[in-house]
Amino acid sequence: MAVKIKTNDKHIQALAEIVGSPRLILFHQEDLIAYDCDGFTLHKHLPKAVVFPKDTQEVSRLVRYCSDNDLPFLARGAGTGLSGGAIPVNGEVIISLVKMKRLLSVDFENRRAVVEPGYVNLKLTNSISDKGYYYAPDPSSQYCCTIGGNVAENAGGAHCLKYGVTTNHILGLEVVLPNGDIIDIGQNGIQDAPGYDLLGLLTGSEGTLGIVTKITVRILKNPEAKQTVLAYFDKVIDGSQAVSDIISAGIVPAALEMMDKTAIEGVEAAAFPVGHPKDIEAVLLIEVDGISAGIEEQINQILEVCKNRNVREVRAARDEQERGRWWANRKTGFGAMGAISADYLVQDGVIPRSKLPEVLSRINKISEESGLRIANIFHAGDGNLHPLVLFDARIPGQSEKALAAGSACLQVCADVGGTITGEHGVGIEKKEEMRFVFNDEEIIAQTNVRDVFNTKNLLNAGKLFPSPGRCVEIKKEMKAAAAQ
Amino acid sequence: MIEATNQWSIKDILPEDQILIEELLHPLGNNGRVTVFPKTEEEIANVLRYANDTGEKVTVMAGGTKRGYGGLTETADILLSLANYQGIVEHTVGDMTVTVKAGTPFKELAAYLAQHSQKISLDPAWPEYATIGGVIAANDSGPKRLGYGSARDVVIGLRMIYPDGTIIRAGGRTVKNVAGYDMNKLFIGAMGTLGVISEVTLKLRPLAKFESLVLLTFPETNSEQVRTFATSLLDSMLEPVSMELLSPSLSERLIGKNGYTLAIAFEDVESSVHYQEEFIKKNQPVHTDLAILQQQDARGFWEQFYKIGPSGAETTVNKETEASLKIGVVNMDVIKVIQESQTLKDSHNLVAEAHGGLGHGLCQVNLKGASEDVVSAIQQLRDSAVQLGGYAVVKHLPFTLRSKVDVWGGKPSHFFLMQGIKEKVDPNGVLNEKRFVGGI
Repeated sequence: MAVKIKTNDKHIQALAEIVGSPRLILFHQEDLIAYDCDGFTLHKHLPKAVVFPKDTQEVSRLVRYCSDNDLPFLARGAGTGLSGGAIPVNGEVIISLVKMKRLLSVDFENRRAVVEPGYVNLKLTNSISDKGYYYAPDPSSQYCCTIGGNVAENAGGAHCLKYGVTTNHILGLEVVLPNGDIIDIGQNGIQDAPGYDLLGLLTGSEGTLGIVTKITVRILKNPEAKQTVLAYFDKVIDGSQAVSDIISAGIVPAALEMMDKTAIEGVEAAAFPVGHPKDIEAVLLIEVDGISAGIEEQINQILEVCKNRNVREVRAARDEQERGRWWANRKTGFGAMGAISADYLVQDGVIPRSKLPEVLSRINKISEESGLRIANIFHAGDGNLHPLVLFDARIPGQSEKALAAGSACLQVCADVGGTITGEHGVGIEKKEEMRFVFNDEEIIAQTNVRDVFNTKNLLNAGKLFPSPGRCVEIKKEMKAAAAQ
Repeated sequence: MIEATNQWSIKDILPEDQILIEELLHPLGNNGRVTVFPKTEEEIANVLRYANDTGEKVTVMAGGTKRGYGGLTETADILLSLANYQGIVEHTVGDMTVTVKAGTPFKELAAYLAQHSQKISLDPAWPEYATIGGVIAANDSGPKRLGYGSARDVVIGLRMIYPDGTIIRAGGRTVKNVAGYDMNKLFIGAMGTLGVISEVTLKLRPLAKFESLVLLTFPETNSEQVRTFATSLLDSMLEPVSMELLSPSLSERLIGKNGYTLAIAFEDVESSVHYQEEFIKKNQPVHTDLAILQQQDARGFWEQFYKIGPSGAETTVNKETEASLKIGVVNMDVIKVIQESQTLKDSHNLVAEAHGGLGHGLCQVNLKGASEDVVSAIQQLRDSAVQLGGYAVVKHLPFTLRSKVDVWGGKPSHFFLMQGIKEKVDPNGVLNEKRFVGGI
């Protein structure tokens, strides 16, 4: 036994041997508490252990050990996920990828970079910005979330209206499969490799198909110019009409964000206030980027559109500092709710843009009926809504009420032809809500795919799909019986 | 006119006028002993269910442009044609999304959307014949992929009919969606081996307010100059939607200039387009020839461009063998692929026309000549692509030659996963047998 740790558990000893140091494994209860949940804090469960592999080979050996010994396991990055995808509901061994955090290579000529999964999102942009390049997906947590986690969740961000979400920027993945085998897909970052698009399937699979150990991403050249407009509306309906008008005018903004009255109250009470008036119903943040010669025309058009929709005040950012302040105010919007509420629950519905006024009024109704305030922060351009249900967990029954209100918001999104999650993932939080958008056959079609990769279902089990789904299980058995 | 007596079952499923028995075998293969033309999703599902129950094999087609793309069986039992399964299901102008039946020709769809100043940002070959379902199933893309991405970037929802007749919806109607696995990705480019695409939902873009095309022709001898210029352009603030390198032979045919030509397209507000044109004029490399086509002229060029490769729907019989390859390499290696293609004219006595995107690394090489020369050239091009770390897929080749070159170029190391998926979805192997990678 090379690694000396105090345990009678042969599995923990064996896992410690693989990572090779007592400092790279946690297994005492007091150390494990930090890992009992992620950004979704309403459910907690202790893992069996947390291990910190240094490279792909170690990940592979850890996975193989877990698989051979029927130990449930899952991968974790920075733990910023908002749907509970990294919560060890089965007492998993957590394979933390935070020690695998190197930027392995950057190839400017071919516009790609290779990173390890624990590499922090924003670090990539920071390390290539001197050459005029950046990495496009920008979730609000980008200063601390990892690119490995972004791949698992297919993370979005404020700028995905024009530039797409994580999946549109992934060119290659090295993956440790649930049995420990290592595969390399999208080799050399070359697109359209023959065969099924496993790259696309794995991205957003919430850590249920494999563990990503190396990622080739696309990097982009900074746009020559960008300009941001802020617009205040007395009526939320005018704000949402302005959103539609901007898009209908043939403008593709880089970002088109909206906050409602309650959200404004929150961000103005928090760390980055910018002086939004408190009596307006909606603020829009609209960013256009591209060739400098074309920006002014588009900005003028946007100003015109807003004026036609009874805007109270609209103007472009005076300088980069002001633009930065506006964005800091918006990007810290979720956390800002802490300034006006003891607790809050973030939801992540998506709707066809044209349904915005209807959905907002129905969410208002949910708020009234539940007696809980709901703030709305959303990526209005692509219809991705983040209702923030404000509550106080110390008051008995409020957590349950908040969960129910959040779920009701998702039902509204599904009802109008939308979906239950745009960028936060299903995790454990929304797995029952999967039934709002998929029927049994469609869920089976997905679990069938999972079974090809995750044959023993030891990797991140109990996520993403409705549980136990009696109906689903029975149909599955019937199908299996019919096939024999 | 139905003579065969063993077709009674399929006749129970579809009216007689939707069934055709084709006596002649098409030289590109992917035939069916019987061709069926369902008009509804239910009819498609019934045909598949019938085949799944009786053990018959089904091959799927619509416009027929990709008939020569893969497939090692000359004749399946049923050729399922989606040619009569057309039309727009829903177009929400304000949401900029459209749902359309798979058999709708791409050009027809584009013309309809243009009335609303919108477009699908894909530029596939043969848009008048190619259907949206076929474009998605074969993951076809064109030079403007540089600016707009490919099928995987624009398809937001699919309605699939599984081989057992079950309808499976993937994705949805919103532009952002991470509910469950991204099943759309599995079906895009799967060559119809996992299910029949019934409806496609796409996100749309506004039609460009202005477009232009800068054609920059370099002397044939100087490829280093191409590389230097392309690299500097990609590193500039310019936002070309295409940066396609044309081989001298292709350049000669399209614009009458014998030299390596860069086709650099801009689509934006007018001031931005002119600004970018000016940038290129100012930085024009020595000894190059520059032409700028705007608006209608630019569109005219692209219309011709999309017809340069062979089409499986072509009815005129060609004595020479035609082939087309899709080659994927790291971006700048495109220059090497295009150069090598140019040498095939002399080394293999072939007509070889090639183009490739310096921003995305995908090339297409079209070959015409004696069949043994075509086969040998395919092998040579593939060897080179593999040496560069890339791949070569044969997009078009007569049926008899397809067994001589592996259309997909071997199996990837993780092939077992693909095979596992196929077996789960299509356990009886009903759909498009041996059409895809590794005999899937």
